[in-house]
Amino acid sequence: MNYALDVQHITKSYGKKQAVRDVSFQIQEGEIFGLMGMNGAGKTTILRMLATLLRPDSGDALIAGNSIVKNPEKVRADISYLPDEAGAYKTMTGKNYLKFIAGLYFKEEKEIKLCVALGQEICGLGEALEQKINTYSRGMTRKLVLARTVMTKPKLAILDEPTSGLDVLNSLDIRKTIRRCAEEYGTAFLLSSHHMQEVSSTAHRGAIMKDGQFLAEGTPEELLQQYQAETLEEAFEKAVKSA
Amino acid sequence: MKNLLRKELSELLNKQMLLGLLVSFILIVMLGTVMTSTMTGTLETSGEVHIIDLDQTDFTKQLIAKLQEQEYTVKAVSDTQPYEIILSQQNWDDAAVLPAGMTDLLLNQHKACEINSVTALKSTSTMSLAFAESSSAEAVITTMNSLLSETYLKDDLAFLEKPVSAVSYTVANNKSVQANSAALISSLAVFDQFMPLVLFLLIVLTSQTIITAVAAEKTDKTLETLLASPVPRSVIIGAKMLAALITALIYALVYGGGFLVAMLANVNKTSENIDIGEAFTSLINTQDAIKTLGLQIPFSGWIGVILQLLLTIGIALTASMILGGLVEDAKGSQTASIPILVCTMFPYILSMVSDIRGMGAVRYLLYCIPFTHTFIATSCLRFHDTGLFLGGMAYQILFLAGMAFFALKLYQSDILFTHRFANKREK
Repeated sequence: MNYALDVQHITKSYGKKQAVRDVSFQIQEGEIFGLMGMNGAGKTTILRMLATLLRPDSGDALIAGNSIVKNPEKVRADISYLPDEAGAYKTMTGKNYLKFIAGLYFKEEKEIKLCVALGQEICGLGEALEQKINTYSRGMTRKLVLARTVMTKPKLAILDEPTSGLDVLNSLDIRKTIRRCAEEYGTAFLLSSHHMQEVSSTAHRGAIMKDGQFLAEGTPEELLQQYQAETLEEAFEKAVKSA
Repeated sequence: MKNLLRKELSELLNKQMLLGLLVSFILIVMLGTVMTSTMTGTLETSGEVHIIDLDQTDFTKQLIAKLQEQEYTVKAVSDTQPYEIILSQQNWDDAAVLPAGMTDLLLNQHKACEINSVTALKSTSTMSLAFAESSSAEAVITTMNSLLSETYLKDDLAFLEKPVSAVSYTVANNKSVQANSAALISSLAVFDQFMPLVLFLLIVLTSQTIITAVAAEKTDKTLETLLASPVPRSVIIGAKMLAALITALIYALVYGGGFLVAMLANVNKTSENIDIGEAFTSLINTQDAIKTLGLQIPFSGWIGVILQLLLTIGIALTASMILGGLVEDAKGSQTASIPILVCTMFPYILSMVSDIRGMGAVRYLLYCIPFTHTFIATSCLRFHDTGLFLGGMAYQILFLAGMAFFALKLYQSDILFTHRFANKREK
């Protein structure tokens, strides 16, 4: 089967500390996969390795068939990465920021215009896009950077804590956008989150992480069944405490 | 590249920066004007002689007349009050005091005498140091000695009035010419001191700009977005460096231009109205002595100097990209530029106050700093040290290549985010 993402036994250490230990998993086209874990569990390290910012100590991952170790340049054309609490260039207007990002991915003016139009539509900021980003609220900035992440229609979108620090309504908007892009454009999503609710309501599948390892992996229903829990929070608690 | 460069420039060349630049330019022009008027004022006052005449004889009147003949403006009083009161009342900065009985001592008793030289100390500035001695007393002594010589020396002994004088010769590049070396230095210094000043400004500004920009991108996590995009890392680094270079050149043109105006104004300070064009012409048509001594730099030499200038800026930019990449956040950027500042300040200051090429063993240590070669470039060319000039340029090319390679490796490695050297990948 051709996966959007095929992670094969990746490991990563920072000095003596092993941040990620022999992790393998796959994501299909249009699938949303959630990584759940406490701070320091290794979620961000996995995301950064897949975004080609960090190099795995061993193992590999194929994104749309390209190796993150051997062909990171090719991988970057198929991915889009949204870091945790990522900002945007504050002196730019929202629209110019979308144009700038589109210019990194496309050369033809026509393609850039289409990409920006999609970004404008996804973020739903309307006339505020003509204002400078330094006038935006946290929620508006997050919607803008999420729009720039998905407007290029990447094969894999990597989102680190996409709703952290946002209120309920903004969080719901972001989750809806993620699901819509996965369905409409076939974009595969890999997201990390502290919020079990976010994963259960957004992701098709997920994994519980501790100390750089996967403790469990499956659909929300499978995880509930595996730990005989009512909610994902409960399943997470049982998984982490029993490990 | 165009897209990235536009973004970098839009961040660096904003309204605040342009406003700051305009204010700086106005301040520099004002400073230059104040300096020039101060110099002119000082020159005007130096034509005045203040005398406290407590002797009041025909000889002292003759002295005053002689001073006036020499186009001094003489202001004399015969007040016996304390000096501080007289200077304050007359609003003088200095005075020469001719004591009572002076004429009798000189003309009748044929004995040497002393006059009092009074100077008002108003500040401890460098400028006041230059005028620490009373110019009135100096003028009075010279004129009085001349007057006494005229009185006592007969025609055939008149040469004794000025029995020995010196004709200055300057030797350089195995040639000698009749010229005052101080005059040659001040003529050449306009260019030789202007270029290092511009270079110093460029290095400091570009390095600070780059380090701050990279650190800010790290803090905002926009760097991660850029590095995960399909744009080659070399283009990302190149766009940032080019934008910083353009910004720094604008700064250097404004600041350096202002300083050049001030320097040229000082060179031409004797003219009432400072005409920059005239000053330039007088500089370009430097004395024949410079040509005779081979101190002029040929056109190809200036091309070499510009190349060294560009190499140095390239090294500073690349080093800043590396330092910016190694800092963890915006706070760290404040101290990250210190190594570049130190490596710039040492050769800059030393090249201004001394001849680095003649500094014994320590010069080799300075030659290790690639910036040094540009600071001494004009000196090398003027004194025909072509080997050192070309060797320095070759060293700068190698240094830049090494730094660029290291910068590219850094931006392709984990260190940017982990601040640790990467573990070796297991086979």
